[in-house]
Amino acid sequence: MRRPHFKLRKSTRKAVLIWSFLAPSLLIFFLYRILPLGWNVLLSFQAWSPMKPAVFIGLENYQEMLFEDEVFWQALWNTIGIIGSAPIGIAIALGLALLVNSDIRGRDIYRTLIFLSYPLMTVAVAIIWRWMFDERVGLINYVARMLDLVDKPIPFLNSFTWALPSVIAANIWQMLGFYMIIILTGLQNIPGNLYEAAAIDGANAFRRFLRITLPLLKPSIFLCFVIGMLNSVTSFDLVYVMTAGGPGHATEILVTYIYKLGFTQTRFDYAAAVTVVFFLLLLGVTFTANRLSGGNAGAVEID
Amino acid sequence: MGKYPRWPIHLALLAASFVMLVPFYWVLKTSISGENIFAYPPSIIPRDPNPFYYVDVWYAIPFARFFLNSVVVSVITIVANVVLNAMAGYSLTQRFLGKSAVLMLFLSCMMIPFQTTIIPAYLITGKLGLLDSYLGLALPMFSTIICIFVFKASFDAIPRSLIDAARIDGLSDWNIIWKVMMPLAKSAMATNVILSFIWSWNNFMWPLIATRSADMQTLPLGLARFLSYQEDSTGALYAFCIMVLAPGILLFLLAQREFVQGLTSGAAKG
Amino acid sequence: MDRRTVLKAGVATAGTLAMPAYLRAQSNKKLSILTWNIADQEALFKEEFADFQKANPGVEIEWLDKKGPDLPAFYQTQLVAGTAPDIVDLQGELWVEWAVGGALLDLTPYLKNEPDLIKLYNPDYMSTLAYDKKNYLLPFYISKTLLYYNKLMFKEAGLSGPPKSFDDIISFSQAMAKGEKTGFITLNFDWLYWPLMKMNGIELLSPDLKKPAFNTPEAVAVLDRLAKATESGAINKIAWTGRWVEPNGAFAGGNVGMLHAHSAAYFFVKGQGRWINQETLGAIQTPGGWSTPTNHGFAISKTSKNPDLAFALIKHMTSIKWATRLAEIRRVLTANIEADKAGLAKVEAEDPLAHAVLQTQLEQTDKLTGNWPLPNDAQVKDAFWPEIQNAVLGRKDAKTALADAERAVARVMRRS
Repeated sequence: MRRPHFKLRKSTRKAVLIWSFLAPSLLIFFLYRILPLGWNVLLSFQAWSPMKPAVFIGLENYQEMLFEDEVFWQALWNTIGIIGSAPIGIAIALGLALLVNSDIRGRDIYRTLIFLSYPLMTVAVAIIWRWMFDERVGLINYVARMLDLVDKPIPFLNSFTWALPSVIAANIWQMLGFYMIIILTGLQNIPGNLYEAAAIDGANAFRRFLRITLPLLKPSIFLCFVIGMLNSVTSFDLVYVMTAGGPGHATEILVTYIYKLGFTQTRFDYAAAVTVVFFLLLLGVTFTANRLSGGNAGAVEID
Repeated sequence: MGKYPRWPIHLALLAASFVMLVPFYWVLKTSISGENIFAYPPSIIPRDPNPFYYVDVWYAIPFARFFLNSVVVSVITIVANVVLNAMAGYSLTQRFLGKSAVLMLFLSCMMIPFQTTIIPAYLITGKLGLLDSYLGLALPMFSTIICIFVFKASFDAIPRSLIDAARIDGLSDWNIIWKVMMPLAKSAMATNVILSFIWSWNNFMWPLIATRSADMQTLPLGLARFLSYQEDSTGALYAFCIMVLAPGILLFLLAQREFVQGLTSGAAKG
Repeated sequence: MDRRTVLKAGVATAGTLAMPAYLRAQSNKKLSILTWNIADQEALFKEEFADFQKANPGVEIEWLDKKGPDLPAFYQTQLVAGTAPDIVDLQGELWVEWAVGGALLDLTPYLKNEPDLIKLYNPDYMSTLAYDKKNYLLPFYISKTLLYYNKLMFKEAGLSGPPKSFDDIISFSQAMAKGEKTGFITLNFDWLYWPLMKMNGIELLSPDLKKPAFNTPEAVAVLDRLAKATESGAINKIAWTGRWVEPNGAFAGGNVGMLHAHSAAYFFVKGQGRWINQETLGAIQTPGGWSTPTNHGFAISKTSKNPDLAFALIKHMTSIKWATRLAEIRRVLTANIEADKAGLAKVEAEDPLAHAVLQTQLEQTDKLTGNWPLPNDAQVKDAFWPEIQNAVLGRKDAKTALADAERAVARVMRRS
């Protein structure tokens, strides 16, 4: 049983404690995220190849990227498209979560079934959906032809118009269960007595949803959005295995472009510059989202 | 809860479940069908079902060894994650100087995709002497920011009064986390376990780079064997998919039943 | 569970788990070899290594195999860390980039020391493995493009024989295109489609390989014809949008008249196409005799600690004895002249159609194209191919596409 001796020491001890709790995680992130980011930032201002010493070239990489590189802009555009598709997935998941959370029999089974898409290797998901979208024997084309919706099979993954939506669809399918679990966790954490009190006060289901559920779900929804967005735009495995960025660069996203620049074209320095820009983009979107959801990662105090 | 018809809910959920399950079924059917899988029209029920593709997979790669490796790495990751993330999540529920800076730091870290960190991560792990080892395979994923936030959100929802009562009883912060908050955050813990398992089990790129000897490879790397030479996706590829997915799904089914208890009791205590 | 126990347990576990799986034995004679997606030949390699170890006792050989897209990532990471495999099997023109970047060892001194060695290999293929007059690779296995054609579809369309020129290709495709049937598909990755250009006299770069040279009226005309043929269905769109599985699969499906691909495609297509046999499938040189090679060769990393031993191993693996085994088992050609003779003889007896396919690989090896020794090959491809795609798929007219491609390629060349 420890008793504090001095008020001053207590608060310092408290601070030390908090930081020591944070330390292990911070160390991991420092080693595996921050240092690599620093490496990228440094490299973006240099010309370097694995066997030769680095040469400082200032902003040349950035100039090339912003003014001469069409693929970069295409990848950027596609990345933004994917970011924009995250709300669709979250909305569907919200609906599913509400349904699963309601008082029906077998809700556990439904919840499990819907979540099943997430514990899959993204590579496996990509393979599965590549097979589903296959032009000759894919299920989607099969159904469309059976229902006479089309008379010739649609080359989903080889078409400039359909490739990106197909990838997005596969991604939403994979993430649905995940979003749903996060939202469910949030829903479960809403104390039941709040609803009871509101019902007694005469609020109907819809108002209860708007005034109680949504606000208290803010942290969960914020989490979903950020995770969803990050997952989608970094879904390297999904894009790479489904389409490799093709056809042309129709499904090229910044992450696959960075990878190709580094490991196919051996231009790690230029890839580093694109990485920095990508990072800044994500930073911007996340902080805007943070602001929109009320700051402080959307945390809510319940008393 | 008022009276409202249940069947529309069932219908909607059934439709959703169907959409989620159909791709699995499609791959499963392909993996056991004995006929030419590229023939049109594809059959809904597999013609001539046989397990030959599965046999192919079993003999083509050291499946058991890869499986073991994946399990070990995943277990390490799960344990580390629960401990580290709970600690970090707890810290974030307290007020302290530099909190918003730390929050921003965490959020920023989420925005660094793995592909951009491959070479530095490899060099660092090399310097630590952890390449080609279980610890080295698990280390980059010891803590994940998303899970930290899940804990934080869950801890945030615990009434202050409970914590204050515990403090007055003289419990240290460490004990507060493990004796008071964790039992109430069962759903967050479940989420942590499930998520860190999934991410670790499915990790492809990092084991690819960080392992060299064939007997340290994890299950996803066996995939390369079946996206085989010439990229010929034979039925064996789909059999492999099923075999990789099955343990993950099974484990999830087992784990989730255990934590359903926690979920419902946690919600009741609310 | 109090904190101290947890900590102790944690440290102990961390200690055990951190031990690397293989103890780094300070053996001077350890070779590591990285191959490109050929894990199916494990048995053969084990035999080869055992044979080598008999002649060189005490040598350990570590064999790694990575699939195509993963190999560069793996190798380059290892390179940066200084632990690159001693020997690496490379495909296509990737080696030029790495040679120029200083990652690969110049093998010319070794070859100079053993003048008989180089005589073992087909000189035309050998010349594709040299850059700036330096040899960096020994050939492992080779293939080049040829023209497959569906004899059934030809008969149906009333065509008496295979095409003999570019005009033939276009007009024959037109004749065979009906409904779901199309006339022609080509593979398009790397530069595999280049023979179509070369047979019309189009060059990619100036002779000094420094400037784009393809923006000519002839090129515009050719591209235009290809675009029109694609639009009318004579050329299947998959030729321009597919990678490997889709184009070969389409031909295997039996609805495409001609396939322009390399010899490796034969086995894939045969596996999927039930209709394929000697009477129904033809295999000839592409009209004009031009073909693009896709070669695999062994290179040695500059950072290797045992370069002499490494060279001995690749010499061993590409020797007549073992190259023959590879040729026989895997039905590929190895550029080792004697081995290929033996391999072909065996194939002729077992599979006359495969023999016909492989025979094309040894003919007209003086007319190889689409394999310029460019250190920035990947970048040039990336600058050039999307514009060609735009043109043949009708998204841009040929003139604009070529002009844009010229600008993009010039930019790439300027940077290097």
